[in-house]
Amino acid sequence: MSDWKRHDPLNRNPATARSSALYRAIGLGSAKSGAHHWWVQRVTAVALVPLLVWLVASLLAHARGDHQVLALWLGQPAVAVTMAVLLMALFWHMKLGLRVIVEDYVHADRVKFAALIAVDLVCLALLAIGVFASLYLAFR
Amino acid sequence: MLIKSSKQVSRWRTPKRFPVSRNSGASPASRIEPGVSWPEPEGATRVQRFKVYRHDPESGKNPRIDTYAIDRDKCGPMLLDALIKIKNEIDPTLTFRRSCREGVCGSCAMNIDGTNWLACIRSLDEISEPSTVYPLNNMDVIKDLVGDQTHVLAQYQSITPWLRSKTPAPAGHERLQSPEERKRLDGDYECILCFCCTAGCPSHWWNGDRFLGPAILLQAHRWLVDSRDEATGERLDELEDPFKLYRCHTILNCTRTCPKGLNPGKKIAEIKLMIQQRRS
Amino acid sequence: MTTAKLRPRSPDVQIYKPQLTSVLSIVHRMTGVFLSLGSVLLVAWLVAVVDGGDTYAMVERWLRSWIGLLLLLGWTFALFYHLCNGIRHLAWDLDFGFELRSIYLSGWTVVAASMILTVLTWTLGLAVLE
Ligand code: SF4
Ligand code: SF4
Ligand code: FES
Repeated sequence: MSDWKRHDPLNRNPATARSSALYRAIGLGSAKSGAHHWWVQRVTAVALVPLLVWLVASLLAHARGDHQVLALWLGQPAVAVTMAVLLMALFWHMKLGLRVIVEDYVHADRVKFAALIAVDLVCLALLAIGVFASLYLAFR
Repeated sequence: MLIKSSKQVSRWRTPKRFPVSRNSGASPASRIEPGVSWPEPEGATRVQRFKVYRHDPESGKNPRIDTYAIDRDKCGPMLLDALIKIKNEIDPTLTFRRSCREGVCGSCAMNIDGTNWLACIRSLDEISEPSTVYPLNNMDVIKDLVGDQTHVLAQYQSITPWLRSKTPAPAGHERLQSPEERKRLDGDYECILCFCCTAGCPSHWWNGDRFLGPAILLQAHRWLVDSRDEATGERLDELEDPFKLYRCHTILNCTRTCPKGLNPGKKIAEIKLMIQQRRS
Repeated sequence: MTTAKLRPRSPDVQIYKPQLTSVLSIVHRMTGVFLSLGSVLLVAWLVAVVDGGDTYAMVERWLRSWIGLLLLLGWTFALFYHLCNGIRHLAWDLDFGFELRSIYLSGWTVVAASMILTVLTWTLGLAVLE
């Protein structure tokens, strides 16, 4: 039973509203966006299919967790670059997915904008740290 | 269970509800309270019980669940027959919409045993005992099983469900279509706007003020594929929006529930494909 | 119109029957969120590999504790589920498999495949450890 009660900072729907149902159905009109979000989510998804299979296989091969072996593995340029690409696809995909979840459930604009910014920044930070770590051993 | 048509009722004993309490998140006026049990028919061998959502706007009280029981041997075969029997013989205040009683008008759409369907084509053999009957989901209730469709119909109006064409109509005959062009409307024109799908769509529950919902998007598709309509580009512009269109996450509750066997989820995917087609 | 304000909203998620369609969808979302948490671990693990020494030993010890193993098991399943169901979504995006029969068939296939892949991965993983 969501009552669709949204925080309304611009006071478009005051308590005394006499607006028509059509006015409310149209809302602020079309944002004329969403196609790009949809496309990039698919591109990153397609990229992640082989990349994640590779990740699982690699982690399995190193299940013993011997640090020297691992460091040698990650020190190979090909492995380091693949890992960096994986992280890019992963965090881009994650950013898009979390954005949709926030938009779905958070209806108060100020909280929503804050959450959307936080999602973008956290993903960016994790990406930066992850890419740096992946490339460090191979290219230092 | 493997479901092959939306008509099929799952025979598996899966949970009837998600693990949330019946009134969780409900506004004070929406909270459902226990109701009354009406007397059972005497001497009946096949008793069918119904737990029905009731709301009387004039009482000033909250909605409640009343329990009715009927004798199946003295009732027609469909759920609508049972509701009419209850209204005639037990409780004349029970309120619901119905008209055609054969699944072509869409009036009697309601939530039956947890899924949306038309009462007039739901056989009493297919419902559980006791059965639960609610109005379509997430609508302002006018009375009992009658939901207010003002908003969803305004959403319908917002997609301009009429021919938008600049070429003047030819003199002396209609705008012509080839049989192939006409065929593209199949799967769209049959929609009776019962709103079973929209009311069963979780995305419409959370964001129905902005998301158009499956019924309206299927209608939007109907005008997008009409060979006589010349506003395809404008229509796609108006739809391309994170909420109006892209709130659809292909959950497919809509396709699972459509009593006309239509496929709103597929039509929405086709709209998204059209938008990609024109930009790449 | 004083009655309009008092109109109750009819229930939705509180009474709607869980079906394969909605259940697989919400699981897709939950596994996505859970995997997002896992991505933090992936980054931490990479940093630990680079740093070596005590940091790596600490992460390694945590991962091999029972709670770490349990979480890893969860992440394995979540990954395979999100991967398989993601492929199902990609097919839908290309307008494939929208008949109810296909929706249910692919849905059950995803459930089975993600379980089988999880078991397979852990069998292999334990074999490597032997
Ligand atoms: S698509 Fe089906 S369920 Fe939805 S409104 Fe039309 S007929 Fe009803
Ligand atoms: S496929 Fe889209 S419209 Fe249909 S139930 Fe799912 S989210 Fe709603
Ligand atoms: S009464 Fe017309 S569809 Fe049921």
